[in-house]
Amino acid sequence: MLGLIEALIGGIIQGGVYAAIALGFSLVFRVTGVVNLSQGAFSVLGAMGMYFCQVKFGIPILLSVIIAVLGTALFAAIVGATAFVPAVFRLPVSNTLMLTAGLLTFFEGVTLVVWGNQPYALPTFSGEAPILLAGIRIPTQGLWLSSGSLAIIVGLWWLLHRTRMGQALLASAENPLAARLMGVNVGRMMVLAFALAAGIGALTGVLFAPVAAIQFDSGRMLSTSGFIAVAIGGMGTFGGAVVGGLILGIAGQLAAFYVSSLFATSLSLALLIVVLIWRPAGLFRAGAVQRVDVRVNSIIHRALVRLPGRAAIALGGVLLAVFGCLPLLPLPPGVISSLAISMIIFLAVLGLDVLMGYTGQVSLGQAGFMAIGAYAAAILATTHEWPPLLATLAAMGLSLVCAFALSLVTGRLRGHYLALATLTFGLLVDSLTVGLIDLTGGPSGLVGIPSFAIGSFEFDSSEQMYYLALGIAAVVIVLLEGGMRSSFGRSLQAVRTDQLAAAALGVNVPAVKLAALCISSALASLAGSLYAFQFHFLSPEMVSTPRSFDFISMLVLGGEGTLIGGLLGALFLTMLPTLVQSLAVYKTIVSGLLLVGAILLLPEGLFGRMALFVARRWTSGARGKE
Amino acid sequence: MLVAKGLSAGYGRSTVLHDIDLEVKPGEIVTLIGANGAGKSTLAKTIAGLIEPRGGVLTLGGENAQNLSAKERVRRGLCLVPEGRQIFGSLSIEANLRLGAYAHAEMSAADMEASIHQACEAFPILLARRQESAANLSGGQQQMLAIARGLMARPVLLVLDEPSLGLAPNLVKDIFRLIASLRSTGISILLSEQNARQSLAIADRAYVLANGRIIHSGEAKAIAAQSDIAQAYLGAGHQIGGQVQGNARVAQMRDLLVAFANDR
Repeated sequence: MLGLIEALIGGIIQGGVYAAIALGFSLVFRVTGVVNLSQGAFSVLGAMGMYFCQVKFGIPILLSVIIAVLGTALFAAIVGATAFVPAVFRLPVSNTLMLTAGLLTFFEGVTLVVWGNQPYALPTFSGEAPILLAGIRIPTQGLWLSSGSLAIIVGLWWLLHRTRMGQALLASAENPLAARLMGVNVGRMMVLAFALAAGIGALTGVLFAPVAAIQFDSGRMLSTSGFIAVAIGGMGTFGGAVVGGLILGIAGQLAAFYVSSLFATSLSLALLIVVLIWRPAGLFRAGAVQRVDVRVNSIIHRALVRLPGRAAIALGGVLLAVFGCLPLLPLPPGVISSLAISMIIFLAVLGLDVLMGYTGQVSLGQAGFMAIGAYAAAILATTHEWPPLLATLAAMGLSLVCAFALSLVTGRLRGHYLALATLTFGLLVDSLTVGLIDLTGGPSGLVGIPSFAIGSFEFDSSEQMYYLALGIAAVVIVLLEGGMRSSFGRSLQAVRTDQLAAAALGVNVPAVKLAALCISSALASLAGSLYAFQFHFLSPEMVSTPRSFDFISMLVLGGEGTLIGGLLGALFLTMLPTLVQSLAVYKTIVSGLLLVGAILLLPEGLFGRMALFVARRWTSGARGKE
Repeated sequence: MLVAKGLSAGYGRSTVLHDIDLEVKPGEIVTLIGANGAGKSTLAKTIAGLIEPRGGVLTLGGENAQNLSAKERVRRGLCLVPEGRQIFGSLSIEANLRLGAYAHAEMSAADMEASIHQACEAFPILLARRQESAANLSGGQQQMLAIARGLMARPVLLVLDEPSLGLAPNLVKDIFRLIASLRSTGISILLSEQNARQSLAIADRAYVLANGRIIHSGEAKAIAAQSDIAQAYLGAGHQIGGQVQGNARVAQMRDLLVAFANDR
């Protein structure tokens, strides 16, 4: 009984943390209509800043807290004003969502460069000894945490409902046009909301860091938990954020108490899936959000760039010849193997392009399918000694089954909820690859995976794998290129532009979405299998959720809806750290900056920009001849 | 009061308004009539500072105004009550009214309260229900709130964009009576309306807009009497307006539609 009460208290404390992060999410979502995936990173920045002030420079606790929180908020205000808010005004919501994924990576990169990758533990505010109350142990930091969360909740309520600034924030959230007419500077309010959310996140991080070691990528976990809490409670409602956070915290602690702490993550994910199926809009309904969605939809997607047919064939031939000759150059073996890996990864990015670029369905779970493909093929080929080709095909079959199951959940979801559901799927796969130790080898991974083979022909060198992946990619591109120019491809684009209008034209929207998801997951699965055969080794972090973010960076950098563009992105982001080993620590920050920069400055991507140039030249040339 | 000379404006690549000359004198009710897509709302938004003009001159009280932000224009007494009411439904009626005076940050609490009473003089129901959420109001009451919120900014020129849109006929009469009654307060009014007959009945002067150009202007009574103007006004509705051309989503869907038709 005592244990249960202590678990409940722990749940409330944990829930307070989630609630505070969820409040930050809700605030930004209400004012801008965008889920800010980088929210969790503010807690990490706050905690790191606190460590700097308190431990390194010996500044008193209270002053350290103020410096850490204000510093983070100021940093966020700068990022918000230069990157986030311009994107909210200019870009469709799916691109802004990806931009925040880029910001998350960027913040992680900053933390990695400044503070390194070791975990930091802050001293507790008032000693380690817990308070004993009728035999129940209550950790003192827990009291700090819950009073901090309470202060955040009350403070935010007061700010929004009792101050002129808060009313202007709410007005911008509900109706930006009317708010502008009242003389409210909506852009400034968005920056303010972003900075305020960062301050809330930083304060949470400062209070939370003494009970949980924080490292550069802890923000991911916090973002996810906060996101899940928001989704359970209902996006854009402040009450929902608090209740969602508490439910998540208590459920997690009870699961840890009754079952095991390994199970806590899976349980919270399962909880989320239940809520998404049962009440996709969360437990609490947000009245104002409807309006925000209307505004978001009014920003149209860019039309896809199309190369004229003959230009595409010519370019394809040239590219194939260039990439076919690459391994003939005297390159060091490391480069050849990087080339092979880039080409394999490109297959997964190709799949993502069909789903995201053409159909407009944001997926943060592409790595999940890669993991299924990698593990299923590796286990079948290693433990059960299946021929690799058969194992790869079986893995693709399993991925398709999973894609079908996922579509049962995601079928009705759009925008943020879809992104959330795919992220949940990816995380669920992550927790399984780590958790099913007997099958996957757990965190230490699988060894002794054979080379890929077709019949008796083994692809046992990087060069051979490179040619294999190149051949597959070429065939897939030719098929997809044709497919995307057919009526099927146009129905994908119709769904991307306007689902309702597409349905009105007679497009079977759910079927089209399912087809895109299947193509995308099959390619990711194939890439995963080849990846495992190339490395002869497989561990969970090789195919975990950060990969999904990488894929998005590659796709956006190369150009969405261009098929071939992803190759540029994959080559660039894979080869860069190999070529410049000493700069490996900067890989994360560069990757984040590239994604943010590409979305803001080069929305059509490197290849898209080139294709646009060629397409314009071509058409003006053709006109000249007439 | 307000003078526009050779004003042009648009969205993206398309220019919607061409060479607009328009004047509102102090204490006047001026109506702007025209069919759907004629450019009335674009003109109202350009005057309010929500859209940057492409060319021409806009002066407010003799001062050059085209470079002022929306907020600065509100501070100088130019207030737009937008099309479709655009109230803050999730906020209380009182919060809506207070936001109306947002541009006047210096206003004291007592001044604010006095303003609220003054703005609601013609709408006692708003005062009686001031703590309620604005979404609970009926369509006509929401339009009243939108006008009262506009009055909170203490305007000298109130621009009303389609105040009768989506209201039942008897409510439309009420709204027009109310606009006419604002004349006694000395506020100038620019009334953009599709409902030409009723707005001409309360206005001093009128401008007729078609395809983004002013095709007629003059005394409201004279325009109401001319039957060929009603003809022109109806005729304009059958042409494709600039607004539709400017909508890239429509263009994108149209392309897809054509492609589908070719497939089958």
